[in-house]
Amino acid sequence: MPAHQPADVLGIAGIACTAAEEGLGSVVRLDADRILDALAALQTVGYDFLVDLFGTDTGERIELTYHLRAFATHEDIYLKVLVDYDGEAASVWHVHPAALYPEREAAELLGMSFPGHPNPKRLLTTDDLPPMLRKAELIREAGEVQLPYE
Amino acid sequence: MSDGHSWHSDVALEEGRPAYLPRGLKRVPRGVDELATEHLVLNMGPQHPSTHGVLHVLIELDGEEVISAEASLGYLHRGIEKLAESRRYHQVATLLDRADYVSGLHTETAFALATEKLAGIEVPWRASWLRSLAMELNRYASHLVWLGTFGMDAGAMAPFLYIMRDREMILDILEEWCGSRMMFNYVRPGGVFADIPAGLDAKIRAWLRVADSYLDDNDALLGGNEIFQARIRGTGLIDAATALAFGMTGGCLRASGVDYDLRRDVPYCAYGELDFEVPLGVNGDNLDRYTVRVGEMRQCLRLIRQLVDGVPEGDFTAKVPKVFRPPAGESYAAVESPRGELGIHIVSDGGLTPYRMRLRSPAYFNLAIVDEALAGGLVADAIVTLGSLDIVLGEIDR
Amino acid sequence: MNIAIEILVRFLAMVALLLVNGVVLIYMLRKVLGHLHLRIGPNRVGPFGLLQTTNDVIKLLTKEDLRPAAADAWLFNIAPFLVFVPSFMAYIPLVFGPELAVTRLDTGILVIFAVLSLVPIGIMMAGWASNSKWSLIGGMRAAGQQIAYEIPLLLSVLGPVMMAGSMDPSAIVAAQSGTWFGFIPRWFVLPQIIGFVVYAISAQAETQQTPFDMSEAESELITGFANEYGGMRFGFLYLAEFSNMFIVAAVGTMLFFGGWQLPWIETPGWAAPFVFILKTYIGIFTMMWARGSLPRFRVDQMLAFCWKRLIPISLTWVVVWACIQRLAFEAAIR
Repeated sequence: MPAHQPADVLGIAGIACTAAEEGLGSVVRLDADRILDALAALQTVGYDFLVDLFGTDTGERIELTYHLRAFATHEDIYLKVLVDYDGEAASVWHVHPAALYPEREAAELLGMSFPGHPNPKRLLTTDDLPPMLRKAELIREAGEVQLPYE
Repeated sequence: MSDGHSWHSDVALEEGRPAYLPRGLKRVPRGVDELATEHLVLNMGPQHPSTHGVLHVLIELDGEEVISAEASLGYLHRGIEKLAESRRYHQVATLLDRADYVSGLHTETAFALATEKLAGIEVPWRASWLRSLAMELNRYASHLVWLGTFGMDAGAMAPFLYIMRDREMILDILEEWCGSRMMFNYVRPGGVFADIPAGLDAKIRAWLRVADSYLDDNDALLGGNEIFQARIRGTGLIDAATALAFGMTGGCLRASGVDYDLRRDVPYCAYGELDFEVPLGVNGDNLDRYTVRVGEMRQCLRLIRQLVDGVPEGDFTAKVPKVFRPPAGESYAAVESPRGELGIHIVSDGGLTPYRMRLRSPAYFNLAIVDEALAGGLVADAIVTLGSLDIVLGEIDR
Repeated sequence: MNIAIEILVRFLAMVALLLVNGVVLIYMLRKVLGHLHLRIGPNRVGPFGLLQTTNDVIKLLTKEDLRPAAADAWLFNIAPFLVFVPSFMAYIPLVFGPELAVTRLDTGILVIFAVLSLVPIGIMMAGWASNSKWSLIGGMRAAGQQIAYEIPLLLSVLGPVMMAGSMDPSAIVAAQSGTWFGFIPRWFVLPQIIGFVVYAISAQAETQQTPFDMSEAESELITGFANEYGGMRFGFLYLAEFSNMFIVAAVGTMLFFGGWQLPWIETPGWAAPFVFILKTYIGIFTMMWARGSLPRFRVDQMLAFCWKRLIPISLTWVVVWACIQRLAFEAAIR
């Protein structure tokens, strides 16, 4: 187990957060504008592996989940930040290059942006496609889709 | 990796140059100098025999040397994560088979494990055992596909077809067991869909009797070839720090010398009871990825022997209600798929369908290294290195 | 006989040989590769799939002649013929029997390699004119490869030429009649084994077959210089490749395996062409065998192999053999 609890580390770094043990594991919630500092701080105490980064539409805002792992001890923590629709969260790619692809994906699929991303192009979908992972975007059957040439 | 970083991001951004700078394509403009040479940007894919599906890689070339590379994904994007939000928990496995179509059982199991964790379902020991057995058979089949296509990328046509013969035998076994050759839909939350058919263990044992010698043949035919060794030795180098920073897992990470295997380190299903080794590489070049995967195949056969000999008695599935509503919450479960850590993150609101399902695809993260790994090599190396990463586009694009 | 008719007959015989060869070789390649690959190969059209290639030729002939809009039209159209004509010309000096050749040339061997050295120009032209990046890389690779491998190919030929004291194919074949010590066939492959190995490797590279197929490189360049070609232009490119294969095998037979002669016994005149074709096809089969079982070199490894290994070896061998022949065996082998 790393010497420091994530909440303590963030507290020393001066980052306000709330930590909780949930069914998922150790979850730390913090403000979106401090996520970069938080990841850099946690990296220095051993949380050096970004397992995943994805967004969830909570119905009101977008919740970004940063799944971190202390590689030496196989200990996972989840950092969660809330971002407004079409809002921003700083890109964390220069702390965790693994975030390069998932950030692009989250940006296009949830309709938000990651300032500081070196290559902020769309990754999976084409231009003009609405952010499909938002709950407001409904899944339609084939018959419901109006094709442009029909 | 953390060198030069302070806890204050502004300092880190201004002073310490980030360790990994995505280079992007830097085409030298024509006309600056009459003698200036121009870099050639080659569009490899989406229709190309060696991109294992519909990957599009932009390669910037100086002569035949790769200056930089950028992957362009999404040609196989079917919105599986979105579609899963409209399927009940028992129906999602059908979608996930299509995500990683070479080893569907791993994706199914990851989803089942995450659901069970969410709902607190106790899985019968026999079901866990059967899952492990089916997964190992599927892993072997998946590694065979990789071995064959890797050889094809290097121009060796013959081993591919010999390897497909071996894979066909496994697919026959899995077809008799799960009812399908690739789209299994076998692992359900709570257990598995059906028990192992009577007499199938004899077939698996019959296959095991020849599998070793077939693997030795294929290894000798491909890995024993000096031309092939010259092609893969020292090319596509990925060091351990870079691999970890880019979130690589699985054989690609182990080839770089990082000893990490979920089956051993975070045991799931029946792996805690089993005896196996984790092969490791040293340098992280294509040769290491080759030896690690072939070593993994040998361990795979060892695991299958143990699994088929020790199938315990009991139920093959727990009682899971037809109308299944897990409690609200979140859960994450990961399996060691043939490509690496395959994780499923489920967010539930207590409804019939997942509120959000996230597939942490290993090949997706392994592919992000493409620029680091390809730059500096030749076009021919680029093809081989892409092949060594063992990408499956269905899983990358989801 | 009227000289014009004679020329026409010889010419038509050459065309017929080339076309039949092409058709047979394509069928043979498919069958050989098929069996090496645990497959069956063509087996649907005609008995044993024999008509498959004919079918394909008809398909190629009736296909629309497409040219990419951005291609250099003149070069694009002419390139397949520039590839094809040299390999057609190389049939002229081949000797199929004691008196059976299109024409007898005193410098026949030289002529064959001289005309074959024109092939890279056509291939590079095809690669350049297609205006495709893949074709361009393929064309450049082919040019570099063929120019490099011509050197060891020619040097390896010098041994048999020295032994026979002539560049006339008939004279070289004639010099290989009889036996040494009464039981070893007087084939040049035995004393010239080093030269033969160099020749076999270079010939494989010269005809751009796996492991030296970088210019096509299915899995890298998607058939390289031939990428944008379709219809009969593509057909010509491939016919040239198969005909080159026949030529290098035939030259190898003439130089190292006694040409049309059977070992130990006097070859009847009618059997000579069959013996020659059989020996050549055994050579082609070996080339196909290598093609079916080996992976591909990387382009820099292939060039390094040529310049750093084959050329020094063959150069040394030429010098060594010249000394041996001059000092020790002049009397014994003449």
